Amino acid sequence: MTDIQKLAESVDSLKDSFEDHRYICSNQIATAVYLAYHLRKPVLIEGPPGVGKTELAKTTADMFALPLIRLQCYEGLDEAKAIYEWKYGKQLLYTQVLKETLDEVLQGATGFRESVNRLHEFGDIFFSEEFMEPRPLLKALQEEDGCVLLIDEVDKSDHEFESLLLEILSDYQVSIPEIGTVKARAEPPMVFLTSNNTREISDALKRRCLHLYIPFPDVDLEQKIIHARVPEIPPQLRTQLVTFIQELRDMDLKKVPAISETIDWARTLLLLHTESLDPELVRETLNVILKFQEDIDNVDHEISTLTQKAVSAN
Amino acid sequence: MDKTLASFIATLRNADVRISPAETLDALNAVELTGYRDREFLKNTLALVLPKTADEKDTYDTTFEQFFKFAEVSGESTSSVSIDDEEGEGEGDGEGQGQGDGQGGSAGQTNPGNSKRKGRARFSAASDADHEKEEDLGSGEMSNPVSNLGKLLMQDSRVELSVQMADAAKKVNLDEIQVFTQKGLYTRRIMDQMGLPDLLKEISTLKQSFNLPDRRLGQELKRRQEWLREQVRDYVERQFLLHADATGMRLREELLRKVKLSNVEHRNFRLIQEIVYRMAKKLVTMHSQRKKVFKRGSLNVPRTLRRNMSYDGHIFDLQWKSVKVDRPKVFAVCDVSGSVANYARFMLMFLYALEEVMPKVRAFAFSSDLAEVTELFDRNKIEDAISKTLRDFGGGSTDYGQALVDFKKKCLDDVDNRTTIIILGDARNNYGDCKQDILQEIYQRSKRVIWLNPEPRNTWNTGDAEMRKYVPYVHQAEECNSLMHLERTVGNLLKAVQ
Repeated sequence: MTDIQKLAESVDSLKDSFEDHRYICSNQIATAVYLAYHLRKPVLIEGPPGVGKTELAKTTADMFALPLIRLQCYEGLDEAKAIYEWKYGKQLLYTQVLKETLDEVLQGATGFRESVNRLHEFGDIFFSEEFMEPRPLLKALQEEDGCVLLIDEVDKSDHEFESLLLEILSDYQVSIPEIGTVKARAEPPMVFLTSNNTREISDALKRRCLHLYIPFPDVDLEQKIIHARVPEIPPQLRTQLVTFIQELRDMDLKKVPAISETIDWARTLLLLHTESLDPELVRETLNVILKFQEDIDNVDHEISTLTQKAVSAN
Repeated sequence: MDKTLASFIATLRNADVRISPAETLDALNAVELTGYRDREFLKNTLALVLPKTADEKDTYDTTFEQFFKFAEVSGESTSSVSIDDEEGEGEGDGEGQGQGDGQGGSAGQTNPGNSKRKGRARFSAASDADHEKEEDLGSGEMSNPVSNLGKLLMQDSRVELSVQMADAAKKVNLDEIQVFTQKGLYTRRIMDQMGLPDLLKEISTLKQSFNLPDRRLGQELKRRQEWLREQVRDYVERQFLLHADATGMRLREELLRKVKLSNVEHRNFRLIQEIVYRMAKKLVTMHSQRKKVFKRGSLNVPRTLRRNMSYDGHIFDLQWKSVKVDRPKVFAVCDVSGSVANYARFMLMFLYALEEVMPKVRAFAFSSDLAEVTELFDRNKIEDAISKTLRDFGGGSTDYGQALVDFKKKCLDDVDNRTTIIILGDARNNYGDCKQDILQEIYQRSKRVIWLNPEPRNTWNTGDAEMRKYVPYVHQAEECNSLMHLERTVGNLLKAVQ
């Protein structure tokens, strides 16, 4: 039994192993990875920004000791960037160089038909793997021992690109007109797609994936996460800042602080040698957790009440 | 195929979670892997495979709790016949349903709720009566029951009872229940199937017996039989909510799509709003895929080289990088006077729900004077903006001539050959000046003028209606008075503007 199989034996073992890698996850998340591994299905992860969607893929790669291949999506991303591209420069260069040798090849050939036949003998040299530049998707299929393929922020890409993904997601293969179908090597990649829901992902894509929604964590889970990520922080302060953040999430803000912001804040407070939250300190460090001036202004009046609440939560 | 899973999926579909056959197969594979043993594990597993949006996840959660609830009840073996306990569960049901469908307290639900409450009242009365009698007899030794159901009831075994109940329900095809009036029927059928006739016979024999233990048993059995009836009723209720209620809902939606918008009652507004959003979403997914490649932006070198290889590397067919969405404008001009206000409400709702794919929409409202309400919509939620518009601008007597004059003054300059103008109104001008020459001007400048008239075509020119004067200067005049019409018009509009 390989290491990966041992790790993926049960949801609990996965969960523990995630914790060892300082990624605290809910049962739901562990189940997702478990199913993804056993059913060989891609996972589409949705949720508000900063809840650890990308991190999940990274940690999985880390845990299984597989290479991580990442494809960052953006508007206008096409197959030339995602799957493969021909090395145009090389092709042009070679045609120039080979122009001279063309005469030798054709020497002795009489008539047009024979010349063309001779040329055909060389096949499609210029469109062989030698001249092909594999991009992330193709690279992932070519990995010998499998890998983790992260297709990040798939909602930022165009609809056409989504359709392009369908083949690789359902059959772990891509079709290249000049070469044929490239199938995954022995071990198909584990695929994670993340989406921030800036637009609706098509049903066809969703149908091929497991769908994991990661919401903001509750107090206990967030405490654990902070404990795993910033272990140096004193427990009292940890409780306070998590309570504070949870209170903030209930407020009507333009962008509510996510886990990544909580972690940043914890690190900031640690750096400032903070023992306990106080209004002045919160006010000064608020820009770590809130990213809009409007939000900061809104929260400003509430700071003392919120801090009080957080401190008394201990 | 796994029957439990299949019926669970059917139930989910009933609750508006879209599940394809492919996903059903996935679910089967997943369950094969995980098994039914661990409830939370099963829930987590299916949550990954079946529901695919955050909304669907919520629905899924409630439905899962409902569907696999029976198993849980039978799992715990405390068998005290406590009425409070049962009532707690009943309330839970109601809540769950309310959340699941996102609309509590509508007409369809009050009825079942009422009948249930009545049933409960009767039950408690009956049990009170029994209590009194029981005191007469005093406690003491009891005989042993003879009939099967009687034995089962006296065993205090909920698990066994639950299993029997589910079996009986399957035999009488409970999952085919359609309307709430059938609930009593199914309850009786299930009881019969479980052996009620025998039990009743036994009870009546026991009651006539002179033996005190026999009579005690008779009373106890009677009491437990009532309790069982309540259980079955609850079970039927739950199954009804799972299987049939959504069917009824769908029927109602189907009706609402066709009904005239001015006749929609206020309590249905929420539902209509949901339908509008759903229709809009459908249109969004249909149309958001069509973007145009524009000849602007930076040079796409690889693509250009590749394209031009067939010309011996001479570059003359340039390829550009940027993919640009063409965003024409849509002006919606709505008559918000009393007669047409409701139509305006739903059309604006529709247009703004399409924000994602719809080009920039500017909205104007008028009854006599025309005003732009675009900003109102930008700043407020759609529903609020609509009610504010109707409050501020509705109510006056309509003057189309004045509205056109105002439109010309305010924004004729903004109308260009990529602008589509939708006018919603009945063209009832109170015999005023029509000013159709302004409409002609608009007609000539714009890409398209569409007139939506909520009245049926044959009344377009009766009384003070002036459609015949306006029709020559619009590209398209449509009758539009139901959601269906609206969907069709907006769909066509999207096709045309993109």
